[in-house]
Amino acid sequence: MSRAVIPRRTVLRGVLAGGIGVAIPLPRLAGMLNGNGTAYAGGAALPLRYGTWFFGNGINPPEWVPTTTGVGNAWTLSAPLMPLLPVKSYLQVITGLTNKIPPDPAHKGRPAAALTGANAGPTDVQLPSIDQVLAPILNAGSMPALPNGLHVGISNTSGAGALDLRVSFRGPNASNPPEYDPENVFKQLVMFGRGSTGPTTGPAGPNPELARRKRVLDAVLDDAAALRSRLGKADQVRLDQHLDGVHQIENQIAILSAMPTTPTTTSAKLVDPAVTYPNMGAVGSITALRSKAMSDLIVFALATDITRVFSFMFTCSACHGSYADAGLDPVTFHEDYGHRKSPKGLDYATKGFLTGVTYAMTNFNNTLTAMMNCADGAGNLLDNSVVYSTSCTSESQTHSGNDYPTLVAGKAGGLLKTDQHIRMVNVPPGTTGAPNGENQSKVPYTLLTCLGRPQGAWGLGDSQVSAGLPQMLA
Amino acid sequence: MTGQAPGAGGTIGQATGAAGATTGTSGPLDQPVASMRKLTIAEFTNSIHDLLGSNAPVPAQLEPDQQLDGFRSVSASLVAVSPTGVSQYETAIDGAVKYAFSSAAQAATVLTCVPASATDTACPVSQVLGAFGRRAFRRTLTAADVTRYTSVATDIAKDPGSSILIGLQYAVSAILQSPEFLYRVELGAPSAADGGRTKYTDFEMASRLASLLWVSVPDDALMNAAASGSLSTQAGVLAQAKTMLASPKAHQSMANFANDLYGMDPSSGTPLTTTFKDPAFYPNWTKTLPVAMQQELLMRVDDVAFTGDYLSLYDSATVFVNNELAKIYGLPQATPDAFRKVTLPAGSPRVGLLGAGAILASNGLPQRTSPTLRGRFVAQQLLCKTVPDPPPNVNTTVLDMLPAGASVKQTLEAHRQSAACAACHAMMDPVGLGLENFDSVGTYRMTDHNVPIDASGVLDGMAFQDEASLARVLRSHPQAASCFVGKLYEQAQGRQPLEVDQPVVAGLSQQFEAGGHRADQLLLAIVSSDAYRFVEIVTK
Repeated sequence: MSRAVIPRRTVLRGVLAGGIGVAIPLPRLAGMLNGNGTAYAGGAALPLRYGTWFFGNGINPPEWVPTTTGVGNAWTLSAPLMPLLPVKSYLQVITGLTNKIPPDPAHKGRPAAALTGANAGPTDVQLPSIDQVLAPILNAGSMPALPNGLHVGISNTSGAGALDLRVSFRGPNASNPPEYDPENVFKQLVMFGRGSTGPTTGPAGPNPELARRKRVLDAVLDDAAALRSRLGKADQVRLDQHLDGVHQIENQIAILSAMPTTPTTTSAKLVDPAVTYPNMGAVGSITALRSKAMSDLIVFALATDITRVFSFMFTCSACHGSYADAGLDPVTFHEDYGHRKSPKGLDYATKGFLTGVTYAMTNFNNTLTAMMNCADGAGNLLDNSVVYSTSCTSESQTHSGNDYPTLVAGKAGGLLKTDQHIRMVNVPPGTTGAPNGENQSKVPYTLLTCLGRPQGAWGLGDSQVSAGLPQMLA
Repeated sequence: MTGQAPGAGGTIGQATGAAGATTGTSGPLDQPVASMRKLTIAEFTNSIHDLLGSNAPVPAQLEPDQQLDGFRSVSASLVAVSPTGVSQYETAIDGAVKYAFSSAAQAATVLTCVPASATDTACPVSQVLGAFGRRAFRRTLTAADVTRYTSVATDIAKDPGSSILIGLQYAVSAILQSPEFLYRVELGAPSAADGGRTKYTDFEMASRLASLLWVSVPDDALMNAAASGSLSTQAGVLAQAKTMLASPKAHQSMANFANDLYGMDPSSGTPLTTTFKDPAFYPNWTKTLPVAMQQELLMRVDDVAFTGDYLSLYDSATVFVNNELAKIYGLPQATPDAFRKVTLPAGSPRVGLLGAGAILASNGLPQRTSPTLRGRFVAQQLLCKTVPDPPPNVNTTVLDMLPAGASVKQTLEAHRQSAACAACHAMMDPVGLGLENFDSVGTYRMTDHNVPIDASGVLDGMAFQDEASLARVLRSHPQAASCFVGKLYEQAQGRQPLEVDQPVVAGLSQQFEAGGHRADQLLLAIVSSDAYRFVEIVTK
């Protein structure tokens, strides 16, 4: 088989040195779908996607909880949730949930529970996070270029060790650290996303560079097999986790070697974020433009099936970064607003905290709206996705676990109900959240089982659950 | 390949996290367990430079280090690299080997000789790769290893338009992408000469020494010493370590340690690299200032670590400044603007480590100081006190009653009225308040919110009036020396201390005190100790 394959670095130079955005088509073509666009022509269902969208520093429950419950017009968004109005028809707000484990230390156990179903252990989380449980399930039968997901972050300011700038965990001591630079994500995606329209000046036939990389990796795997026999069990696990990465590169080489050579057309475009968002701000700074740039890249990766899973760490647990982009003082949002320690007084800090939470939701909406605006089969990406959003605490001053922030967006291919506010306790919104609510883990459990995880206990200890919330299902 | 079963990737609840040859029950470990150690970014970068040339490019895009118990080396024995991190290694190594093999002349600086062809008998490919691989893997390659990498080179050399140089480039890339390079494999073996105790092998000792003293791979001389068996005795290790400390590369050891201990590394809880200040409050906080502050701190450490009393760092009048930092310290400008050693005038209110901009600024907030963060730094990092994280359901509403514009001191006094907060904050705040004469960037000041600053206080029964006297109190603190010893020992061992380590650290502390607090001598004492040379520790 003869292929015109372009050395990837040639392509990158062409794209980046010119500073010009390149529109790159979807490899998954309309012609590959059935008549009504709901499945592949061969009958296989369109893939479902999952994303975690995490924001640090919690909420203020009396402001957060919508005052009315129900479906559609029966409920309205609360003030901090108002930015999600454009995607309200894809949204479920679940309140009256309690994060059951003690927050010891603050901002560590609670997010660990919301993401993995278990308290943090002495060194790290104890279980894989929901996105990593779902990755192999959603990938079943295929091997995307980024099988364990695309993991991005906006703020790189830490929360003084709370969960170490991480929200995606393959297991304990095996995290997927986020990439903060949209340019680096772009470079990664352009390699797989160029499909058929890249420059056609490359040599015909197999690419010697790809073959040589494969030869190198084969030697690495051979060496590792010899090493493995010398290791204890725990180190064998770590070695295998490392080799997952080697296998991933080998798969990527196979994908690159089989890139189609005929041009295609689509609506999903990959554009250099430096071109679209020239003023997005420094890497690691919290700006809506950086968050939009990352959202565009995630949408492209999902739409082109480069990955089916993502994590978006807007800010980490107890993030000490600045929300100056939201118009707040350039201080640590955690300290001055989350804990209301602004020297300008309690009222000022409380109002500023609401501004900050609303700003986080503005950015969440940017991700969701970008997904909604991207065609996928007969519908859009949100029709075929689930995005779960949560935080590291509920009430930020007291580190309460009551009325824990829990949002779900997307229809999961019609499996999930949308446009509803479910309140799990018969208690009106209070000053510190409704106590003794339903176990918060039931929401991630519902998402896990809805997307294909077999029924059965998930999590550990106080956060463990064995049943979900049927109210969330269509 | 993802979503491992619960519990995969490490054993939670054990001090070292590595399961295996523990001595008994499932409780805390009695004895350390050897485990594979991921190279830190510093170790990876230095190793690439030592193996491929100091100008070989190493991109910043590498999986971030993490810290456990405040040290990258402790985390390195537990963590696994993500798939993205493995890709980043491939990219980084690809770029570095391309540089090293860009010409035969360049390759000659990396290899023992450059084979002219795949069948060159004067300079055999197998021999060249065996020699390179020995340093990279920190052990002699097996025949199977040599065959594996030689065939990569000779196979790729056969490609149309290829050459043996290109083949060697990929073979070296394979060696460097192997987990045997990217992780230090130091597992120990039973030593018959030592009654069967599990002991690090000679090559493993070479690896340990190079990692601790050079933050890199061994050189050929060290590998030859290992091959000759001279690292199996205490005297042999001591002799090699002395030679290594005399190398310029040894300065890396204390800088690497200081970056963790003093919170400079990006993996730290409050790293200087992402510290930000409100420009309206601190227009002097530029992008270059924190870089200069970190450099200064490392110069101060280097200045005392290899020649003098390490604890003089705590109350020394010696600083290093460029012009930007000189402005912060109130010192004169100089031409040309280069880093220079300056002795602060007698009676200077700024003295020692706690007067360093790097410490003051990184433990501060964007618009104001944080005596709590500064006090926690002293308590945790310099005196080894256990400062618990804020308790469950910590409630900060006690501060809501304060009037707008309250001084930092008033705020903290309100804080300590809450019994739940007082226990720990009493450990941190009074010491931190002793540094209130320095604003959040580190500039000297007399007032806070127009209130004259009273920086007096008491540290563990010893009164101080200001930062200068706090510095002297700190140096004479009974825990100062043993805390430093314990920290360096933990970093060197790369694991959290166990009960069996206590007598070892006590013994090292006695030596440290008796020897006039020499950090370089402490390094020698650590590496030549039984506890460092054996996996298991025997308490005498």
